Amino acid sequence: MTDRPLVRMTGIGKRFGGVHACRDIDLTVTAGEVHALLGENGAGKSTLINVLSGVITEHDGTIEVDGEPVSFAGPADAQRAGIATIHQELDLVAGLSIAENMFLGREPRTRLGTVDIRRMRRQAEAHLRTLGADLDPRRLVGSLRVGEQQLVEIGRALSLRARVLIMDEPTAALADAEVERLFATIAELRRAGVGIVYISHRMAEIELIADRVTVLRNGTVAGTVDPRLASREDIIQLMVGRSVDALFGEGRNEPGDVLLDVRGLAVTPRRPVPGRTEPAGVDLTVRSGEIVGLAGLMGAGRTELLETLFGAGGSGRRVGQVTIGDRPYRPGGPRAALARGVAFVPEDRRGAGLMLEHSVADNVVLSALSSLTTLGLVRRPLLRRTVAEQLTTLAVKAASPSIPVATLSGGNQQKIVFAKQLLRRPRLLLLDEPTRGVDIGAKAEIYHLLHRLADSGMAILLASSELPELLSLCDRVVVLHRGRTVAMLPRASATQQAILAAANGDDVKESR
Amino acid sequence: MNPPNPTTVAASPPETPPSRRAIRLPKDRHAIVDNFFRFQSLFGLVAVFLIAIAVSPSRNGENVFLSSGNLANIVRAVSEIGIIAVGMTFVILIGGIDLSVGAVLGLAAVGSATLMVDSGLGIVPTVLIVLFIGTAFGATQGAIVARIGIQSFIVTLAGLQAARGIARMWSGGLGIPIAYGEGPQEAPEAFSLLSGSINGVLPVPALIFLAIGVGALLVLRSTAFARHVYAIGGNEKAARLSGVPVRRVRVTVFAISGLLAALAGIIHAGQLNQGSPNDGAGYELDAIAAVVIGGTSLAGGSGSMGGTIAGALLLGILNNILALNNIDANVQLVVKGLVIVAAAALQRLRPRIA
Repeated sequence: MTDRPLVRMTGIGKRFGGVHACRDIDLTVTAGEVHALLGENGAGKSTLINVLSGVITEHDGTIEVDGEPVSFAGPADAQRAGIATIHQELDLVAGLSIAENMFLGREPRTRLGTVDIRRMRRQAEAHLRTLGADLDPRRLVGSLRVGEQQLVEIGRALSLRARVLIMDEPTAALADAEVERLFATIAELRRAGVGIVYISHRMAEIELIADRVTVLRNGTVAGTVDPRLASREDIIQLMVGRSVDALFGEGRNEPGDVLLDVRGLAVTPRRPVPGRTEPAGVDLTVRSGEIVGLAGLMGAGRTELLETLFGAGGSGRRVGQVTIGDRPYRPGGPRAALARGVAFVPEDRRGAGLMLEHSVADNVVLSALSSLTTLGLVRRPLLRRTVAEQLTTLAVKAASPSIPVATLSGGNQQKIVFAKQLLRRPRLLLLDEPTRGVDIGAKAEIYHLLHRLADSGMAILLASSELPELLSLCDRVVVLHRGRTVAMLPRASATQQAILAAANGDDVKESR
Repeated sequence: MNPPNPTTVAASPPETPPSRRAIRLPKDRHAIVDNFFRFQSLFGLVAVFLIAIAVSPSRNGENVFLSSGNLANIVRAVSEIGIIAVGMTFVILIGGIDLSVGAVLGLAAVGSATLMVDSGLGIVPTVLIVLFIGTAFGATQGAIVARIGIQSFIVTLAGLQAARGIARMWSGGLGIPIAYGEGPQEAPEAFSLLSGSINGVLPVPALIFLAIGVGALLVLRSTAFARHVYAIGGNEKAARLSGVPVRRVRVTVFAISGLLAALAGIIHAGQLNQGSPNDGAGYELDAIAAVVIGGTSLAGGSGSMGGTIAGALLLGILNNILALNNIDANVQLVVKGLVIVAAAALQRLRPRIA
């Protein structure tokens, strides 16, 4: 590690309209350090990163690279200066191969001017090897898992000879095993002298890998601390400006009768989709008033199970028994599922949960329209009242129900998805990664909401790749491995080790 | 990455939950700008109307463009495309396209002529049968789109060919003239009302267009069906997961488009006193143009019926004023192209998120 920073940002400020997105921010990145950037949504992280990566070109303050002042006219400039960004939503072309993606726009040429495919492959292979990834560079990116796609992005950054790598919530879409691999890669990069700006909402990760933590709040630096010296509470307090008591509520009601009973559920898809793991022997029960967690590695089939239970999975032959209440349950589609009192909050809230360009109100009422209409005509006053009530109940922060959902923060968007599903008054709520990309304040609110719903008698089945979330929130944890139930752990015996062991397919025979 | 959003931050402090009072339309500059873009086609229509008055030739000191006869001509000329465009708006709102409407119009025109002249049917059965054919044709296309999942562009391109083919087979490849009277091979006199006017002012086709337009406007404003249409166009997957009957809505939308194309075909036959299998060629593109000028996004999910109606009228006025000034028909085409591009460009300028 050298003392001279690779990048020094001084007095960075940016206004959108009359509002300061960030103001007077100083940030340095030195070679071989992992500099974590923390802050709630809207604290100015994205703006700062966009300034550094050349997306925002007009701003206050100065940027120096290697002690030389620079000004970026666009992302390409920043890349040329050695600053690469790995966005949360990966910038890859699904229909092209790994090698083609890595060299997109700068393909090596042969003397005839055609693409030198062999050289491209060789170089891609070399980069992948550096990252410890055993992938064929000819594979289509669309066939890769998210974690693997991320490695391709990192490989692209390496091929650009990036010296500063900005990673925006790189673990948000990863299962724990893949997170470990990513961290190994980061350690490798750090040894090679790459400076890393690391954005995440997950405190545990930051304690694990960050050398320095800069906390942003309301567009300014609230403090820079050494995570080895500062406690988690200190950092959270810096973030939210107040101490967050009990993120996870306690004192739950006793669960009631079994509401959802799944026995030997397996689906043989008519057209198998690569990368999907359909249920292949799932047993589980959820009682009303109970929160049951669904754990498992990436590709263990958590999402697929929830989709099958919601009737939204692919078509195919189904075996096994599913009952809700005492009646058998075979949903033909989401409509039928909703009619039986089953609601689903999908993992991909932008892609599958919301109409981003449409208003808050339109999104909230979408699944409950039939209760708000007479003879097909929408009853506007009733609709307005319902939306207002729902927004108040969930404490959604929106200027008005008529603004587009896209303008809300991640946490508030997620609350809109909840609001929409809860309007149907479901008995069983299926949740897929409900707190992904949600800041810590909104996370706490969602946890409280889930407790409230469970206490009101709702049965909740929640898939999450964050083990601390499962452990603290759930009454029981069901672990899936390759589409099968491999463990059902009551709260008392559910530990990180036990879940991970089961998720990795180790032989665990806990109480069934 | 979320862009930081001033509106949310500024409007409600985090401590207080949003109260009833906070939930109001924001009355600020954004809203004004937004409204300009929302009603862009209306402003465009007024502008083109004023320009038309200004550049209109005058005869005996009277503005030719503003003469009641000329205005009636405009709405009459616009009504067929306008009715088709209403159906097209629904299709485009769900993110689809219907290229078959011009051919369905031709099929309906042939059907009207044949059923009345050759089969000797009365007006009511003829109209019902022809409307049924159009609806069934549209619904079939919709079912193929919804069930098999082929893009609507391809399905309706095939539908266009098929409808033309059926029309040619049915008519023997020739136009079928409609003579009126009581005898055999003659259509009921009442059918010729379609080429007439009410009080000699308001052409009957324009009246039908008006009724259809207002009806569609109301449907789009206040039915659950319309919300489903917008939802599917906005995010089909989210709509499906929210319990929207995506397939049923799809089929219905294409059925509406087929129904309205058939209605336009009946009007066409009545106005020209004949049904030819080549009728309506290229009408689908004019209808799409009207929808686009009306500000509806080809990506689906956003747009309005009022815009489409204004867009259709705008195109009609444009054609009319260019013709009044004896401007070459080929130049008219170029001008029409420019207007479409200008309308689309204006949409791009619209602030995505105010």
